[in-house]
Amino acid sequence: MDIKFDRIAAILFLTVGTLFIIGSRNIASSSYGSVVGPDIFPLFLGGLLVILSIRLFYETFSGKKQEKEKEKLQYMPFIIIFIATLVYILTLESVGYVITTFLFLFVCFQTMERGKWLTSLFISGGFSALVYFIFVEVLKGTLPGWPIWFN
Amino acid sequence: MNTLDYLLHGFGSALIWYNLIFAFVGVLIGTAVGVLPGIGPMSGVALLIPVTASITGGLPPEQAATSAIILLAGVYYGAMYGGSTTSILLNTPGESSSVVTTLDGYQMAKKGRAGSALSIAAIGSFVAGIVTLIALIVLAKPLSNLALKFGPAEYFSLMLLGLGAVSGLAGKSVTKALIMTVCGLLLATIGIDNVSGIGRFTFNIPWLYQGIEFLTIAVGLFALGEVFKTILEKEEEDTQMAKINNLIPSKEELKESAAPIARGSILGFFIGILPGAGATLASFFSYILEKKIAKDPSKFGTGAIAGVAAPESANNAASGGAMIPLLTLGIPGSGTTAILMGALMMYNVQPGPLLFEDHPQVAWGLIASMFIGNIMLLILNLPLVKVFAKIIQTPKRYLIPLIIAISIFGVYAVQVSVYDLLLLLGCGVIGYFLNKHDYPIAPLVLGLVLGPMVENNLRRALTIFNGDFGPFFTRPISLGFLIMTVLWLVIPVLMKMRGKNVVINEEG
Repeated sequence: MDIKFDRIAAILFLTVGTLFIIGSRNIASSSYGSVVGPDIFPLFLGGLLVILSIRLFYETFSGKKQEKEKEKLQYMPFIIIFIATLVYILTLESVGYVITTFLFLFVCFQTMERGKWLTSLFISGGFSALVYFIFVEVLKGTLPGWPIWFN
Repeated sequence: MNTLDYLLHGFGSALIWYNLIFAFVGVLIGTAVGVLPGIGPMSGVALLIPVTASITGGLPPEQAATSAIILLAGVYYGAMYGGSTTSILLNTPGESSSVVTTLDGYQMAKKGRAGSALSIAAIGSFVAGIVTLIALIVLAKPLSNLALKFGPAEYFSLMLLGLGAVSGLAGKSVTKALIMTVCGLLLATIGIDNVSGIGRFTFNIPWLYQGIEFLTIAVGLFALGEVFKTILEKEEEDTQMAKINNLIPSKEELKESAAPIARGSILGFFIGILPGAGATLASFFSYILEKKIAKDPSKFGTGAIAGVAAPESANNAASGGAMIPLLTLGIPGSGTTAILMGALMMYNVQPGPLLFEDHPQVAWGLIASMFIGNIMLLILNLPLVKVFAKIIQTPKRYLIPLIIAISIFGVYAVQVSVYDLLLLLGCGVIGYFLNKHDYPIAPLVLGLVLGPMVENNLRRALTIFNGDFGPFFTRPISLGFLIMTVLWLVIPVLMKMRGKNVVINEEG
């Protein structure tokens, strides 16, 4: 058990619970024709979450301290892929599915492991074209296909 | 119409050519999901919901729901078959439900009996699948008739039981599991309230009016969370695969494993029906049972065929058994069935006692397709096991980015909103941290799916009783469910205090 993480999490959950309690106080307490209004359930749950997070915080003190194993985490590839995903999401609607997916996959393939440029190009191109073709042409779904400035 | 007529109608819809293809694709992907470590049935099913939703888009609603659920359920039970393959050949379980299979399965493979271990696992899974299906057919009508007599108070207590049971067995800490459950329920309150029409916690943002989409959360927490874990914790693995020779088990081996398969099927089925206890627990308990009643327990761990046959039958039986509370009561007992339920609700099909009345095509079509799917799996698994074993060698460098791309495509295709994609990415990061620190994710998804129903039944009951909480405790069935909920939550804690090891049900 990572005590530090659990304590931070307990405080976060406590905040969320409190916010939900405050939030539900602002909801109209009764709806027409019903004894119980829409505020009761979230109010009760918010309270429960507060109690549980206090309990979790308390548990972190009794928990045994574990030997911390230093794991080697691969931060670099994760950060690159995370940013690539974020850029992919944000540009999807303006640049279109085919181009963004192709670039995203290509960047990720190369981040995971360098080399084999041709295979990477082939798979990322094939995937984006195939998904677009099947979804939009065959199944008549909606995807932003090409950059908006093309039309 | 009696049950048999319904079943025949079910076969009628399951045997339509495209439904056969759906079942085939489902079990095929399921087997692949089972073989690949890292992707469990939950992320597999969650990832495929949007894909199936877009494929079935052209069909009329009821048929679309039938086809989609046929495919998704196929992934679920297909994964149970696939999990054994890598346990036996590589000593790496593809699923948590196949962990015990490694104990004897890998030993058998080392002794050159990989072929018979694989085929016994497949035969056991098949027998268990058929046994549970028959039980499902027999129990479906009486159980849903019983459930029809439940009022809102009983339903509320039953759902609490479902939530409590899943939380009690979900992780190392009951507190953490309960926190996740409450978070799921709270997330479900966001959006327009169904009863009063008042927006709750929407902050006047139109995107929040329809509520947080369960699909986005499930795909993000499970699939992306798992992907981020694989990227961050890159492991060098050596894939030393045992050789497969002679797939046909000898008569002696068949004889030896017949009884364990039967016991595993029955035990697994009953564990599967219980809320909270799933395939992992079933396989674990059946292994312990076999070891206890064996004439020579020392054989276990050195390649006893019963140690492969029993748990592999049990995990398959449990996955079938878990369908019973889902289909007849509308209460999912595990993370994967919660996701299946969410998928059905996306098609406006409400699982529960009325399912068999309102949507017989969906319910019986699914049951019939499970027969067909199990036969397909048996045929697929025996000769093609070598091909499936190759899947594990798929380079991660291609697999991981493709999973991200499929998640994004799927969520966008269904929701058509960039906000959902941002939420998806956020959930992926949160899912990684939650998982790493033993916060179980299944209860959160269960809470999110059950939330609106829990609340509606609570409010309906309170309206009937004029705001009095008393009837929840005075109506016998409701009281019974509540007592069971408390016991389910308290007993594991008490057992832990006494220093006993509590088996928890991990789902991936």
